[in-house]
Amino acid sequence: MTFGKTARIFSTLSITLLLAACGADETTEEGAEGSSDFDAAADIHVITREDGSGTRGAFVEVADVMDENEEDMTTPAATVQNSTSGVMQAVAGDIHSIGYISLGSLDDSVKALSIDDTEPTPDAVASGEYGVARNFNVVYGSELSEEAQDFYNFFTSQQAQELVSEEGYVPVDSEAEEYTSQGTSGDVTVVGSTSVEPLMQRFAEAYMELNPDVTIDITAPGSGAGITAAIDGSADIGMASREVDEEEASQLEGSDAIAVDGIAVITHNDNPVNEMSLEDVSSIYMGDVTTWEEVSE
Amino acid sequence: MAERKERVMNGVFFISALMSIVSLVLITVFMFTNGVPVMMKYGLDEFLFGTQWRPTATEPQFGLLPMIMGSVYVTIGAAVLGVPIGVLTAIFMAEYCPKWLYKILKPAVSLMASIPSIVYGFFALQFLVPLVRDSIGGNGYSILTAMILLAVMILPTVIELSESALRAVPRTYYNGSVALGATHERALFKVMLPAASSGVLSSIVLGIGRAIGETMAVVLVAGNQPLMPDGFLKGVRTLTTNIVLEMSYASGDHRSALIATGVILFVFILLINSVFLVIKNKGATK
Repeated sequence: MTFGKTARIFSTLSITLLLAACGADETTEEGAEGSSDFDAAADIHVITREDGSGTRGAFVEVADVMDENEEDMTTPAATVQNSTSGVMQAVAGDIHSIGYISLGSLDDSVKALSIDDTEPTPDAVASGEYGVARNFNVVYGSELSEEAQDFYNFFTSQQAQELVSEEGYVPVDSEAEEYTSQGTSGDVTVVGSTSVEPLMQRFAEAYMELNPDVTIDITAPGSGAGITAAIDGSADIGMASREVDEEEASQLEGSDAIAVDGIAVITHNDNPVNEMSLEDVSSIYMGDVTTWEEVSE
Repeated sequence: MAERKERVMNGVFFISALMSIVSLVLITVFMFTNGVPVMMKYGLDEFLFGTQWRPTATEPQFGLLPMIMGSVYVTIGAAVLGVPIGVLTAIFMAEYCPKWLYKILKPAVSLMASIPSIVYGFFALQFLVPLVRDSIGGNGYSILTAMILLAVMILPTVIELSESALRAVPRTYYNGSVALGATHERALFKVMLPAASSGVLSSIVLGIGRAIGETMAVVLVAGNQPLMPDGFLKGVRTLTTNIVLEMSYASGDHRSALIATGVILFVFILLINSVFLVIKNKGATK
């Protein structure tokens, strides 16, 4: 008897599951079509970077996503992605989303919004018209060794600043002096931000061409880790894509900006919204504006 | 000569055995020396019961309750979805499965266990997230997505261990109950499954351990908001993802607070493993 009952329960269960699975499939297909339709009344899916990220720190500061005490007021409902590619993937897959990334990383998979009627281009960042930008910084914790000092000097040379523009960033000093090799030799370790790393890699290649006896080792665990490594001496030079805070500055010997990077505010390619005021961006990230119709008006 | 060789090899074995204990002790010491001071500084109840996680504010707040609850919810959800499927699959594989199908099913389950978690994460990001977004709602990065993903990920652990527990039950139990007039099903569910219960329970506990410790897959689909879990379609941040999200950029107290997150996770795992040991020993003394 029990056998009969159990078997019946099982068959009912499996049929229900089967039906449910088919049902889910159907709705998915409809939903997939629906997802390419932009619905202005829909909630804005806000995507941000993790606390402590250089990009987030810079974005929050320039877009003024802060209260009067300069605290980060990013809406806690925002989805957190911990990499530039994560943000891009999330935005590319969701028509109602908004995110922000380094201008140098922008590609066709997403659309960059014009902010306050200015398109995010390196020229607009350089002229200061496009205001959402931050510095790429290098730091050192103790007296630099001869070879590290020489590499450090290279950052602000004409050659290096040309590489900065080639990579799509904005030079900090367009009238820098030309670098000439001093014939130094040795090892230099550079640790820090993932955003700065591609640029630093170009610097290192160009520098090692001029100074074949110097080996430069670059790793990119993040801005915070880079500054920590510079302070405790495990790296000669640290890279940071955000400003150095007071606690860190007191332990560092020195820091300098090597390039300026714009931050692009991005949406899905099919999203009809093409521009926004910086104020709107700020309200969205503060959680004061939650639907697209409030900004597209 | 022979005796000396004997003694040398004894030493080699002893050192090998020591390695795992030494690394465990080192990890524990590292975690507690780095994590506990910051917990004391801001207060243990702030850490355990605070609901605000704002590590980089000028007056930082390190409330871990949202992440603790996030881990608990996601893990329970994964167990609720994954355990019945896993245990029933194990019963099917041990008792019902035709030989030809078993030859496919068994390697498939083993393969599932060895797929790197980041691959599960990508699958969920590309498939589950849009599925949940389009068919159920929200933006797809949700507790529900994480639960489904983890339910799939704990399946191989539950299936393999439950199956071997079922196979370890002496065949005479089955023969005896069938001889007394029980049907195949009755013998399975009333005799074999209870006899294998300690093994099946252990498999569930280990599955839960895997779910709570999973990081790289969950971080891709959970949304990662440091908020108290509020509905299946809202985002969630677990203890493990909290560490992996912020570790690379953290410094100072923020960094220590992340290590403290690890300490709490460590305590959770200790609890789960103790439960596992208790269940296993109970089974052994029976």
